[in-house]
Amino acid sequence: MTKALVVAAFLVAARAWAGDIVVQAIQGDVSVRHGVTEVWTKVAVGDVLRPDDTMKTGRKGSAVIAVPASQAGSAAARRVVLPSEVIVDMSDVRDLSQEELMLKLTMEKVRSSSYQWKSDELQIPSADVVHGADRSSTQVLTMSDPSTGVLQINGARVLYNNGFFATCALKGMEVFRLYPPLAKEFRNRLLVAEALEKAHLRGEALNEYSAIARLDGITPDQQTLVHNRMETLRK
Amino acid sequence: MPLSRSVVLLILAGMAGSTACAQAIFAPRASALGAYAALVQDVRGFTANPAGLTGMKDWDLYTTTYTTTGPGGGGFVFSGFGIGKRFFDNHALALQYSPGTTLDVVQRASFRIAGLSLATNRQISYIEPLAAAYAVRVTDRLAFGVQGRMQTEKITDPQYAIQQVTDSLNAIVPLQQQYSRDTWFGDIAVSWKPAENVSLSALGRGLVRSTSRGIPSKFDTLALTYTRAFELAAGWSPAPPVLLSLQASTAKRGALGAEWNPVADLSVRCGFYADGGLPPFIDAVGFGLGYRYLFFEADASYVRFTNQSVRGGTVASASFDPSLIKDLGMNPFTGNRASVSLRAMLGNIREAPVRIEGVEMLGSVYPSAFQAMAYRPVGRVRVRNTSRRPVSARASIYVDRLMDRPSQSQPVSVQPGESVDIPLTAVFNDRVKDVPAVTIREATVTVSSASEDAYDEHAQARVLIHGRNDWDGTPEGLRYFVTPDDPDVIRSARAIMLAGKDSLARVPAELGQLRRAKLLCDAFTGGLVYVKDPRHLTEFVQYSPETLRSRTGDCTDLTVCFSSLLNSIGISTAFVDVVPPRMPEKAHMYLLFDTGVSPAYGDHVSSNPKRYIMRKSRSGRETIWIPLETTAITHGFDRAWTDGAQEYFDSVELGLGLASGWVRIVDVY
Repeated sequence: MTKALVVAAFLVAARAWAGDIVVQAIQGDVSVRHGVTEVWTKVAVGDVLRPDDTMKTGRKGSAVIAVPASQAGSAAARRVVLPSEVIVDMSDVRDLSQEELMLKLTMEKVRSSSYQWKSDELQIPSADVVHGADRSSTQVLTMSDPSTGVLQINGARVLYNNGFFATCALKGMEVFRLYPPLAKEFRNRLLVAEALEKAHLRGEALNEYSAIARLDGITPDQQTLVHNRMETLRK
Repeated sequence: MPLSRSVVLLILAGMAGSTACAQAIFAPRASALGAYAALVQDVRGFTANPAGLTGMKDWDLYTTTYTTTGPGGGGFVFSGFGIGKRFFDNHALALQYSPGTTLDVVQRASFRIAGLSLATNRQISYIEPLAAAYAVRVTDRLAFGVQGRMQTEKITDPQYAIQQVTDSLNAIVPLQQQYSRDTWFGDIAVSWKPAENVSLSALGRGLVRSTSRGIPSKFDTLALTYTRAFELAAGWSPAPPVLLSLQASTAKRGALGAEWNPVADLSVRCGFYADGGLPPFIDAVGFGLGYRYLFFEADASYVRFTNQSVRGGTVASASFDPSLIKDLGMNPFTGNRASVSLRAMLGNIREAPVRIEGVEMLGSVYPSAFQAMAYRPVGRVRVRNTSRRPVSARASIYVDRLMDRPSQSQPVSVQPGESVDIPLTAVFNDRVKDVPAVTIREATVTVSSASEDAYDEHAQARVLIHGRNDWDGTPEGLRYFVTPDDPDVIRSARAIMLAGKDSLARVPAELGQLRRAKLLCDAFTGGLVYVKDPRHLTEFVQYSPETLRSRTGDCTDLTVCFSSLLNSIGISTAFVDVVPPRMPEKAHMYLLFDTGVSPAYGDHVSSNPKRYIMRKSRSGRETIWIPLETTAITHGFDRAWTDGAQEYFDSVELGLGLASGWVRIVDVY
């Protein structure tokens, strides 16, 4: 049995060295979602994950993955522990350079504003107001369940704890857009602000701290903490 | 022959003497500058460089008068006139009549007989009364000219005969012996403008000569010597108000000139003449003024010689050497001279301050996007302000049959001497959409100053017009194939909606767009056959009605058609254009459409956020957009969505393509 485990560990290490993300250990409920599919499947030790896969741990689950240096963007392969109740995109388990992070943040703006038509190109006018909204349906749509967002914020915290500050900040921002209630929680916002600070994006971090200071229900201690951070960043 | 009153030069030799009159340098502008050959642009002083005549606009008339100052000077004398005409754009003719261009010499002599002193003054006249020239412009910068100059030499030799009146009476009867001969000279000139502010010219003088007989050989010592000469000249304008010129001849003569325009229409000139043959080296200095008002121009000049010793009207006979006379207008016996002239430009002489330096078409015209050509330049024309004042220039382009009238650009301010590019935008008519295949059309580009109706200059340019189904390969260009308001598209989309109205009624309003898009996609792709471009051209794109009718098409046709259908029911779309770095041959395009669902409701669209994109629509509201891989659309909505999402995630999220610029999202409607 011991011999088999050693062989398995060797194989896992070899794959990690070769450039694959490999599941080294699991405990409890651990599942993976491949690519853009919507289905979660059970994961086993030795499974190879792709950068577009997502991993989720249940209430009593945990996992250890080996991330090759090429994927993590670091000098050596990394070993990442996923505690219970997290969702982590494998594409986020990587060190982004400051330039890449800036590009990603820019991308958010580019994606939002789309292609800017040049002034000398034809602008096809469209109506500013469109009448005729469909009010026939009586069904009411509920907002997305924030529990999934909580798992993702937990995943962002795992990224932070493992030094992947840039992807932590980006993930946090994405979660806030998908689950607006989570953006009102001091703890979550502080995570993103600290990640930006650690990623050496002072301006963005200051903006985030400034936004936190304006949150409803923030306590005096939290207010003080935020102001201290802002003062430190301004120096 | 009466002597000119203005110049008197006595040539004394013991008891006998000679008188000579040297006539004017014909054009005051030329005499003020000295170095004028490279600056000839009209009929004034064209004999300096006949190739410059191509600078005339239409008719050019010119007359001048002069007076000689100093000893022997007098009033103003008519010098001559010139007339020139430009025709067929590139040709010019000119004629100059200059009776004032003469040199008269009187050799005084007398003898005494029977106590009577009888004068035997011999009079020699050198005249250059006529010149005619033809010039042709070969290119905008190169012109050639030829001219013929006529010189006449006349000798009046008084003689006396003793005539027996009666047997005892003899009478001394004066006999006037007159001799005359004409010589025609042929000159060839070339002008070249290597740059807008530089002009060069070369002139061969006396290359051809034809002399009539008529003067006995005993007068050979009085004949002018004829030698061929070559002249080179250059003009340079370092800045619009300043003009410098230089000239040199194998006859050992040269000059340096400068012209300055302190204000528009006023010119101040000066020049220095050099003679390498006789001292002093700088033998004359010229000054001048010029003023222009509308189509009239007045010039004045004064030329003063540095050595006045033989210019006082009288010289010793031994000092008079005809071989020193190389130019009737400028020789050692010419006196200081003030000249005045008037020039008139007639006919089609409207100022054309704007000139075309070049026309460049920036690409070809795609009928699908012909409306955009009204805003996006199809080309540009480089114009130059050749006048001395700022002008507002505009350009227009016209393609016969495909445009109803020339499309004019906005006026552009151009400073004197400045060149600017004016963009050309073209408003095509609907006929351009009927062009079946690539064709080349001639476009007429004109430029004019903005205040004028008539154009200053025109040029032809070739425009490549593509066929109606041709696509330029860009997502912006593909956008113009999307026709959501086409009746066929609207009818098809509404028919599908009507068929699926029951299922639509069961979904919440917020998810209505997503449901309608899925319904449309599944119905649209049912029975659709993927067919490659009929002409095997990747840039051939069908319009949506064509795809709906034929039920066939390639991925681009399906993208366009599905986008049209979605737009026609109020769903916004965008193209995702992917051009992988260093692999342009793998460029690809797919579709995004707006579900209208807020990200906060994302779980209702998909539990996996990688399947959708959050982006702001034109209204500024952030909504969820879904990528659709149109090559998979024939396999149904879900497959197209999955493939599109995967592709988007790989290229944009993992590859950072959007931030790096090799992925672009272009809104359609």
